[in-house]
Amino acid sequence: MEELNCETVFTLPVLGGISESVVVTWIIMAVLVLLSIILVRNLKVENPGKVQLALEAGIGWAQDFFEGIIGKENRRYIPYLITVLLYLAFSNSLAPLFGFKPPTKDLNVTAGLAIMSMCLIEYSGIYKNGLKHWVKHFARPVPVVAPIMVLEIVIRPLSLCMRLFGNMLAGFVVMELLKTVVPLIIPIPVSFYFDIFDGLLQAYVFVFLTGLFMNEEME
Amino acid sequence: MLSLDLNLVWTIINLVVLYLLLRHFLFKPVMGIMEKRRQIIEDGLKNAQDAQNDALKMKQEYEDALKGAKQESAQIIEQARSAAKNEYDRIVGEAGDKAGSIIENAKETVRVEREQTMKELQGEIAGLAVASAAKIVGRTADEDLYDQFLKEVGGTHDDTDEN
Repeated sequence: MEELNCETVFTLPVLGGISESVVVTWIIMAVLVLLSIILVRNLKVENPGKVQLALEAGIGWAQDFFEGIIGKENRRYIPYLITVLLYLAFSNSLAPLFGFKPPTKDLNVTAGLAIMSMCLIEYSGIYKNGLKHWVKHFARPVPVVAPIMVLEIVIRPLSLCMRLFGNMLAGFVVMELLKTVVPLIIPIPVSFYFDIFDGLLQAYVFVFLTGLFMNEEME
Repeated sequence: MLSLDLNLVWTIINLVVLYLLLRHFLFKPVMGIMEKRRQIIEDGLKNAQDAQNDALKMKQEYEDALKGAKQESAQIIEQARSAAKNEYDRIVGEAGDKAGSIIENAKETVRVEREQTMKELQGEIAGLAVASAAKIVGRTADEDLYDQFLKEVGGTHDDTDEN
């Protein structure tokens, strides 16, 4: 059972314990930043290399995907959404493959992501339509639904947080159990499903829903 | 396992830092490049469109000019033809007139000559008549006699008148 716990890696004097997930996040951040620095070198407008083409295809795909959800006029939120997508893809899929515990199986991480999403969702609504409209939209279509609409502010990130956390924790638990029962061969295909497929799917769902909620809020 | 603590705050800070780093190192350069390429392609297309429009306009102008030139040339040929015809008519008319006048002159000359010839012939006929008369009168057509006769006639003519 100790694999399920998020161990405290080290304790800072004032700030308290730094958990495993935060350390793994640091590693993922370092990898992502290093990769970007390496891949972004020597970008050319004409005659791009293969690496640049792949990079542009990836970024272009993500850009088109989010533009399709939140619209071309809200492009400013796309970099953040792609950042979250990359972070989740790395932490859900690559971290377990390299022997780390996925940070997203820690409730703190998913809660942090969800809080960020909540802030972004509400901010985008307020930025687009103004504070007045944002306050008024709770009473629509009829004022009776206002309590539910207010609850939705919390429910949306809570569902995001719990969905991601539940999926990753369940996948992780299943993988750990399987590894203790059959340590050889069998975990490989199962790992493909739980680590790669489910991990990428959850990353996709998280940013997709965040974008969808933002779009809803900006209407 | 299900506990929230300060790590939530670290996660949020991590996320913000990651966002800022990636924005600086990944999104800005890549999106900038993509935007630049899009701009270049758009400019190229626009330039091509402009060039095509210009070419079409020029073609139209040339066609108009060509059509105008054709009309003009046809007009010029028409003018030249009518001018030539006028000139031709004039020349032919003049030639006709001149020929008429030449014929007239010739006729006149012939008439005058004939008259002259007639006169000469008349004179000769008169001479012949006189000679034949002298022959009849004197049987001998002696020149001297004739002259004498003429003298006598002439001389006596006055005398006779006086007588």
